[in-house]
Amino acid sequence: MFELAEAFSQFVVGQTGARGAKVIEFEKLSGGAIQDNFGLSLQIEGGERPGLQELVVRQDAPSGVAESLSRPEEFRVLEAAFKAGVTVPEPLWLCEDLDVSGQLFYVMTRADGSASPRKLVKSDLTVEQRRNIVRRLGAELAKLHTVRPPVRSLDFLTLPGQDGAALSRVAIYRRHLREMAEPHPVLEWALNWLEDNTPEPGPAVLCHCDFRTGNYMMAGENLTAILDWEFAAWSDPAEDLGWFCSRSWRFGAHEREAGGVGEKQDFLDGYREAGGTEVDPTAVSYWEVMALVRWAMIALQQARRHISGEQRSLELALTGRMVAQMEYDLLTQIQELEGDQ
Amino acid sequence: MINKPDIHDLLTEARRVLMNSLTPELKGEHKYEALMIANAMGMAIRELGQGEQAKVEEADRAVSAFLEARSEPHHHAECEAFLAEAIRERRLDGGDEALRNLLRTLTEARLGINSPGYLKR
Repeated sequence: MFELAEAFSQFVVGQTGARGAKVIEFEKLSGGAIQDNFGLSLQIEGGERPGLQELVVRQDAPSGVAESLSRPEEFRVLEAAFKAGVTVPEPLWLCEDLDVSGQLFYVMTRADGSASPRKLVKSDLTVEQRRNIVRRLGAELAKLHTVRPPVRSLDFLTLPGQDGAALSRVAIYRRHLREMAEPHPVLEWALNWLEDNTPEPGPAVLCHCDFRTGNYMMAGENLTAILDWEFAAWSDPAEDLGWFCSRSWRFGAHEREAGGVGEKQDFLDGYREAGGTEVDPTAVSYWEVMALVRWAMIALQQARRHISGEQRSLELALTGRMVAQMEYDLLTQIQELEGDQ
Repeated sequence: MINKPDIHDLLTEARRVLMNSLTPELKGEHKYEALMIANAMGMAIRELGQGEQAKVEEADRAVSAFLEARSEPHHHAECEAFLAEAIRERRLDGGDEALRNLLRTLTEARLGINSPGYLKR
């Protein structure tokens, strides 16, 4: 660990033109199976960023499985989000030289607070505070969704097919499901429903694609940073809105549809009032169903990594047994949506 | 061969010791790991138990009967695969209330083993 801290420190010295830097603290942060995140406090002498610097280094884990963006791609997305005014850690420097630490990594500023979903969901907030938080989160997405293709620095992101983001997703999930050894009739049924109920596609915008409680940092009632950009893609704005409201991401507070924190209407109002694309609430509900299917697909793939022996892990194995929860929620949600019509 | 106490009993007791004696003493990552082990053991206990197993078998029989009634090809051991295929190929009406109830029965049988708390929400 000491050598790694020194390697990162020297890299920062080189980037900032400093005379030197002393490592005050270095620790591995929790979370992330695909990436390692390190907290790095440096006392920097001279250069562009003198003084105490609280930083985070994010690099590929040795056993990294890359179905998501690479570190350099993620860095570009973070830069685009930062430029659009989204509350993210400031992306500072990307290192593509494997000789420095053995992996690709980038350095960003460290945000205060906690990303713990349970802590936030269970915290003693007033109705007003809850409203403010979800409105703010909606407004953040509105800013992100102002980034639209083409953007030269994001040319690695693929565009949805001609039929729109929803049907592109359905086609991918059908393929994934065919590759599974075991049958999943509920997911087949839900994919048919998604194919038959596709809303009018929205414009292609930069979507976070994992925007949910647990992936943003809060210091008390203040949002300090939106994290985990490795699934970002050009997609339909309603995808981010639906993912946030999905039943899977309410952490026990099922009645609070917006991330287990607040009301869905407040979240959507925050989005609209901050200049977000006009989004039909039925499209958001549709993408909530898509979110359940997507999470089930991710869980099945995680379980397969365990079952195949590629990565034996109790956590991955248990995730496979969670799929029935998504299936149960799909049956309930679709029934409710049809009842509303 | 009679081998007492039976495996259901052994696992139940082992899980009780894990939850009551060990887990309260653990912190951080180790506590999380202990809870995951308890979770996996709980599933094994329920899967071995007669009550939940009966529900699984009942659900499988319901799938067979459903496919039989609609003259869908099937054989009992893999009836869920036949059901999935018939849905994927759109030979069954997704809006059919009987199909939805069947899917719910299957899902509830699985949840009864994997996470019974989810059904009580």
